[in-house]
Amino acid sequence: MNPRGIRALVSKDFTLFFRNRFFALVTSLALIVYVMLYFVMPGSVDETLEIGLYAPGWSPVAGDVQQQGLEIHVAESLEELEDGVADHDYVAGIVLAADLPDELVSGQKPRIDLYFASDTPEEAKEAVSSLIRELIYAQTGQPLVVDFSTQVLPGPDMAGKQIPPRDRMRPLFAVLLIVFETYGLATLITEEIEHRTIQALLVTPVSIKDLFAAKGFTGITLAFGQGALFMVLVGGLNQQPVIVILALLLAALLVTGIGFLIASLARDMMSVLAWGVLALVILVIPSMGTLFPGVITEWVKVIPSYYVVDTVDRVASYGSGWVDIWQNLLILLAFSVAFLLIGMVALRRRFQ
Amino acid sequence: MSVRRVAVLLKRELLQGPKSFIFLWSVVLPIVMSLVLSLVFGTLFSDKPRLGIFDEDASGLVNLARESPSMSTREYGAVNDLEEAVRIGAVDFGIVLPEDFDSLVAEGQHVEVTAYVWGESLAKHRIVAQVTLQDLVRELSGQEAPVDVSINTLGDEVSIPWSDRLLPLLVLMAVFVGGMFLPATSLVTEKQKRTLEALTVTPTTLHEVFLAKGILGFSISLTMGLIILALNQAFGAQPGLLALMLALGAVMAAELGLILGSFAKDMSSLFAVWKSGGILLFGPAIIYLFPEIPQWIGQIFPTYYLVEPVVRISQQGGGWSDIAAHVFVLVGLDVILVAIVALALRRMRRVIA
Repeated sequence: MNPRGIRALVSKDFTLFFRNRFFALVTSLALIVYVMLYFVMPGSVDETLEIGLYAPGWSPVAGDVQQQGLEIHVAESLEELEDGVADHDYVAGIVLAADLPDELVSGQKPRIDLYFASDTPEEAKEAVSSLIRELIYAQTGQPLVVDFSTQVLPGPDMAGKQIPPRDRMRPLFAVLLIVFETYGLATLITEEIEHRTIQALLVTPVSIKDLFAAKGFTGITLAFGQGALFMVLVGGLNQQPVIVILALLLAALLVTGIGFLIASLARDMMSVLAWGVLALVILVIPSMGTLFPGVITEWVKVIPSYYVVDTVDRVASYGSGWVDIWQNLLILLAFSVAFLLIGMVALRRRFQ
Repeated sequence: MSVRRVAVLLKRELLQGPKSFIFLWSVVLPIVMSLVLSLVFGTLFSDKPRLGIFDEDASGLVNLARESPSMSTREYGAVNDLEEAVRIGAVDFGIVLPEDFDSLVAEGQHVEVTAYVWGESLAKHRIVAQVTLQDLVRELSGQEAPVDVSINTLGDEVSIPWSDRLLPLLVLMAVFVGGMFLPATSLVTEKQKRTLEALTVTPTTLHEVFLAKGILGFSISLTMGLIILALNQAFGAQPGLLALMLALGAVMAAELGLILGSFAKDMSSLFAVWKSGGILLFGPAIIYLFPEIPQWIGQIFPTYYLVEPVVRISQQGGGWSDIAAHVFVLVGLDVILVAIVALALRRMRRVIA
């Protein structure tokens, strides 16, 4: 190993990167845009069904209905109720007439008016209708013969403390920023091959090992730097920062290996793009699992980026610690080292 | 300027184009994305609770649940499968219906149903699933509701289903991926291979080269936009107006592609711009996906003036009077971009000279 040679190569790559102000500017801009997008997205989850109630002379009903996930707003008049519905202050307005209890007791079948905004989806209308019918069944002493014995899986119960959409997007953004650097690194190497500067370098005291070390260091720094900075800015390091940083570092190592592999396969810049898109699409798939739970099967675990996404998500959003996550980190390390070795072997063959 | 030379250059672009990865990418990507987003994400984004049922017998509740508009219902063949589906969040609420459930309910006997709730299921989804199930059980047992529920609607706004919310994203992708990338990558490749210098020593001018590449970008962009609208059955009542909007969008895409191609030094720079600028282009579509985000933010992005008229025409039955202001802004933006393309052309001429 030639530390001076490696330092010189790294310095050359970074100088070239930042000398191209355009390239440097847009790379920074990407980070800013991702951070902005994160902050524009909803920062909380509205998991409450809000309902307006106008029940002159029958106010105890509001207390009977109140439960987690349901919020009753009592309106003072029908106009107030209608305004609340039209302004989307609540999803539905219920009018319980003053003589409703009497009618129920006398065995009549009274009518209950429900008000919805015209853009309320059909499912919400049907759900509120069911809710009101159940309420009246309960009021008239007709309990259901079926009991639901509920068990929360997999636990803990997140009701009331749901993960906001933007925090669900956090692993996706971090992975995107890191994975995009496969292009950067593969491009850097392919350019050297295309311009034949690799051959020129290898006749100097710089060895292939030095070259790998230098390119690897550049790739890891660029990928990790962006991912880590993003996580700092969006509060992704508030919990267990060491684990998140380690996961991002291993992810950077992984994309460096993939970058080497792409550079060994690519003939020119367009080939880098073609292989890069394939890598990008595959590596982004596991992020969909955090965005849309339940849509991805166990097969996703064969994709190395799953272990980055899962680790970042579980640590940053659910507060998992080393005990829960060590296996992920170990598998990620194995994948990263394997890809780095395969990439280096493939690239060495290409150089020779 | 020679029309014949532009035609020859365009023919060359058309013959060489399909061999390149970018050409395939710009044609295949919007179609694949359209199919994936429409078929898969259109249902994933639904705000209904998802109910999973394991039925040990052949309960009529399963069919009632399937027909209920309040929930999406899926049946599982084993309790373990149902538990796993709840555990991973594929369903919000899972119930195990015991044998003879229907007859027990009909006889008014007490039945205990095991229910699993996904830990991350929204509280409102749990309530909706539970009251809907209770309502369906009463319907199954033939119990008559003690009240009549009358539904009254207020206002004239309409709800936007997820399949419609995705349309702007698909249209922008169709118009901008090919329309922008083909001219941009073509210019960058020519710069890198130094074929532009070779061309300009012939009677061909840089102006003609730009025009040929721009026409290619415009044609692909417009074609893909029309294909995506056709695939999504979104032509509405004013197909001519929609085609006009797509054409104006295609002009913008081609102009942006030419500007990008002339300023980008190499492919890395080009994709670095895509990495950040892509989000700026797709900004209005992303904002449209989430009505909770203040919709005025979309107006900051230039592509809003393409997306909004397309939405108004295809989804809201809008006509010329509803989109005229947007059309004028879009034309204005296209004219400004023409001026920037002219500047880029002058700069490139200087660089080559």
